[in-house]
Amino acid sequence: MLYRVIDAGELPALVSAFMETYEVVAPVKRGQSYAFEAVESFDEIELDYPTTIASPKKYFLPPKETLLEFDARENMVADFAAEITPRVIFGAHACDINALNRLDLVFKDGRYPDPYYVARREATLVVGVSCMPHETCFCHLWGSDEARFGYDLFLQDIGGKYLVSISSVEAANILEAACNPRVATDAERIEFRHATRRRQAAFNPDIPSIQEVAMLMDAFHKDPFWDELGGRCLSCTACSAVCPTCFCFDIQDALDPDGETGRRERVQDACTSPQFALVAGGHNFRPDGRGRVRHRMYHKLNGFLATHDHMLCVGCGRCVSACKANINPIEVLKFFERKGTEDAQ
Amino acid sequence: MPSSCAVSTVQVRPLACGPAPKTGAQLMAENPYRPWPARITSITDLTATEKLFEFRLVDERIRDAFSHEPGQFVEVSIFGVGEAPISISSSPSKRGFIELTVRRTGAFTEVLHRMQCGDIVGLRGPFGRGFPFEAMKGHDILLVAGGLGIAPLRSLINNIHDERSEFGKVTIIYGAKTPAEVMFRSQFEMWRHRRDFDLYLTVDHPDDTWDGEVGLVTKPFEHLEIDASNTFGAVCGPPVMYRFVIDEMRKKNISYDRIYVSFERHMKCGMGKCGHCQIGHQYVCIDGPVFNYWEAKNIQGSM
Amino acid sequence: MEGRCIACEERPAPPRVVVVGLASCFGCQLQVTNAEAHLVDVLGQIDLRYWQLASSDPMPEDFDVAVIEGAVTTEESENLVRALREKASTVVAIGACATTAGIPGMAAAGFLSRPVEVYGEGGVPAACGEMVSPRPVSAVVDVDCEVRCCPIDTMDFVDALQGVLHGSNKAPRSSTMCGDCKRNETECFFAQGRLCLGLVTQAGCGARCVNLGRPCNGCRGLSPDANLESARQACGRYGVPVEGFDRALEMFNQTNPALEDGRASR
Repeated sequence: MLYRVIDAGELPALVSAFMETYEVVAPVKRGQSYAFEAVESFDEIELDYPTTIASPKKYFLPPKETLLEFDARENMVADFAAEITPRVIFGAHACDINALNRLDLVFKDGRYPDPYYVARREATLVVGVSCMPHETCFCHLWGSDEARFGYDLFLQDIGGKYLVSISSVEAANILEAACNPRVATDAERIEFRHATRRRQAAFNPDIPSIQEVAMLMDAFHKDPFWDELGGRCLSCTACSAVCPTCFCFDIQDALDPDGETGRRERVQDACTSPQFALVAGGHNFRPDGRGRVRHRMYHKLNGFLATHDHMLCVGCGRCVSACKANINPIEVLKFFERKGTEDAQ
Repeated sequence: MPSSCAVSTVQVRPLACGPAPKTGAQLMAENPYRPWPARITSITDLTATEKLFEFRLVDERIRDAFSHEPGQFVEVSIFGVGEAPISISSSPSKRGFIELTVRRTGAFTEVLHRMQCGDIVGLRGPFGRGFPFEAMKGHDILLVAGGLGIAPLRSLINNIHDERSEFGKVTIIYGAKTPAEVMFRSQFEMWRHRRDFDLYLTVDHPDDTWDGEVGLVTKPFEHLEIDASNTFGAVCGPPVMYRFVIDEMRKKNISYDRIYVSFERHMKCGMGKCGHCQIGHQYVCIDGPVFNYWEAKNIQGSM
Repeated sequence: MEGRCIACEERPAPPRVVVVGLASCFGCQLQVTNAEAHLVDVLGQIDLRYWQLASSDPMPEDFDVAVIEGAVTTEESENLVRALREKASTVVAIGACATTAGIPGMAAAGFLSRPVEVYGEGGVPAACGEMVSPRPVSAVVDVDCEVRCCPIDTMDFVDALQGVLHGSNKAPRSSTMCGDCKRNETECFFAQGRLCLGLVTQAGCGARCVNLGRPCNGCRGLSPDANLESARQACGRYGVPVEGFDRALEMFNQTNPALEDGRASR
């Protein structure tokens, strides 16, 4: 990987350069919270943000998107083109970049590349920025506190300066044209090491680190804990709405008011929605909160690992704030920790 | 957004607008969400609630590129109503046509049942992993179907029949609630008559005309002789049926990995993405719908 | 194309529709007229036989679809709803009053004693009809399709009507509202210690009120999967008074048995 150093004062020039050919989306303040939004100037950007309500996945898998248009009278596909906007996601945290890499495994690299996702991913530059954990962050447990690939630039804050990892030619050209990237000095390299150590030391020590969590998800699959955890579920799907790696969807047809033409839409869905595993004829394979919450956690902490060799949780902590019933992976880790204590007795 | 943004597109176009000539496989791979027009060429009433539809893909390139394994499914579109996954009932050897057995059981199939010969639907697929037809060759086969479970198994049965000399003894056990709900009966009876298959038809509630067995699909196992070392089993039916049939097959010592089951879920994309068909860590649409029992045992919540 | 006769290429006759208003403000029927831009398109697909709001023609003998607005509050309306169900192949309930008993439903509490307080010993005027405890349409007959909200969203109604006319495999959802707020990335009222009924209210409006800066007042009604006990605990954790939560629910869910059970269990 190629590294260069730029001054913090050079960032506005970098963003302006991006704005010449891309829509720039970045974290902005919304009341007491933050969200990724399209920005018009560098001043709107809050680069020192704790986390956003939802993740930048919305720019790759929009909550609702048209897959095709049709003529219902002829029952045929009509002429349609989905427009893809070239975009820069400026200021993504490492967890969110790791989440995008997980989505790539499903939507880009699999047996059926998803043309809509692939087109968006290819038209988007990702500029990451380093962060300090806040109390609901546990990305370090899954190795997601560092982004190794999946971005174009990554800005590591080293105090008034940024150590920039440069990963794509496209981004390198813009960086070189807009800023004055220079080779890192020894002091800057040391400061990078210090910054990393400060981050690693700042994680909430109350969140237990359980190494064998995937195996435990199988071993305690029938534990009454799931009744208790799932019994609290409000069936609101907030968890998957904010989750950077939740990608489930429904495919629905919407007719125009004349009933003659319409569009087929992909709509974000969630396995915690009560009708998610319903089949024609009325049988529901996961009819209660216990089954649904357990399934979601199982996919995050075991299932995806079994098929893709990565956890589907990146520890971003968004669900911890979003869930009003206090259902989240930390609760699962705490349960496993309690089990460990019981066994020792 | 700056005006200089070079907006790109993902295009879905009707057949007539197709650009440079492409093969059917290329066209289908371009956008796997895009259904291809297929004409209904035949409709057969099977029972009061089930019909057998025969479809022919309209575009020759797509028709030639379409081939399937027994046990796979397609996504059927009626634009405005939606899409539904339906398993293929015809043998892969029947090229050019696709048969689907459809039970009227919801809004989508309600509309499909009202359609007529000559009408157009959309089809995409085939999707999923079917039965291991090649590996099954040279062996005895024991097929157990309950109710609508006959739909995917019929594809396998017809395929076996097409290459009957490649297989040893083939036994079919097929159960329905009542005689009126037994599908494809004349075809099965004919094959039984020709001694192509051993056939056990069984119903829960017989009527005066019924001369077959009465009871659950597990009942014929009582007098079934099986060479376990040389037998493949295949099971498809309502969720409650699997455990009991598999128990019987295990009692006959058929190996874990030679008992095949086909699962029913609501596959909305067919491509391992939408999540609706997930069981445990597996996606029924790409990892299945056909699993061997060893795989199925290793999926949390499969049975 | 579905259902068309292949021999004569004739389309089947359009479905005959009646629109009936019961106890309500008629605002939802008004919302239907607000579909101005699309009204002609929609009307082109149906044979509108009766619409109380728009015409004084009498109710026809035969029809296929009955659209009902308003709560059932009298014996007369109860009989009317039964008669509609008998004749129509499809019954569509629109608006909070028809789907949850809505505002008229608030009278369900103390139903026997209140009329006397208002009208005195003389009793309820004859013009009011024989009053029964207010209830949603679904408490009297089976309803095939519901369009929720107070008032309904015009395009929701058009969408539901399309589903009735052409069929649709979109399953009705019972998930609650918070997921939509998260997708909209609006700030949660609970985080500010303020009450919002989104936790237990059936989603589907896209959290419209929250987008406008107001908490959800529950006009879509309790989700059948609403977890009241868990929601009350959430109130406790976020410093939102539980009594206020229960009282707020009564506005649109007074007649919902789940609310009754909840009160009884505590």
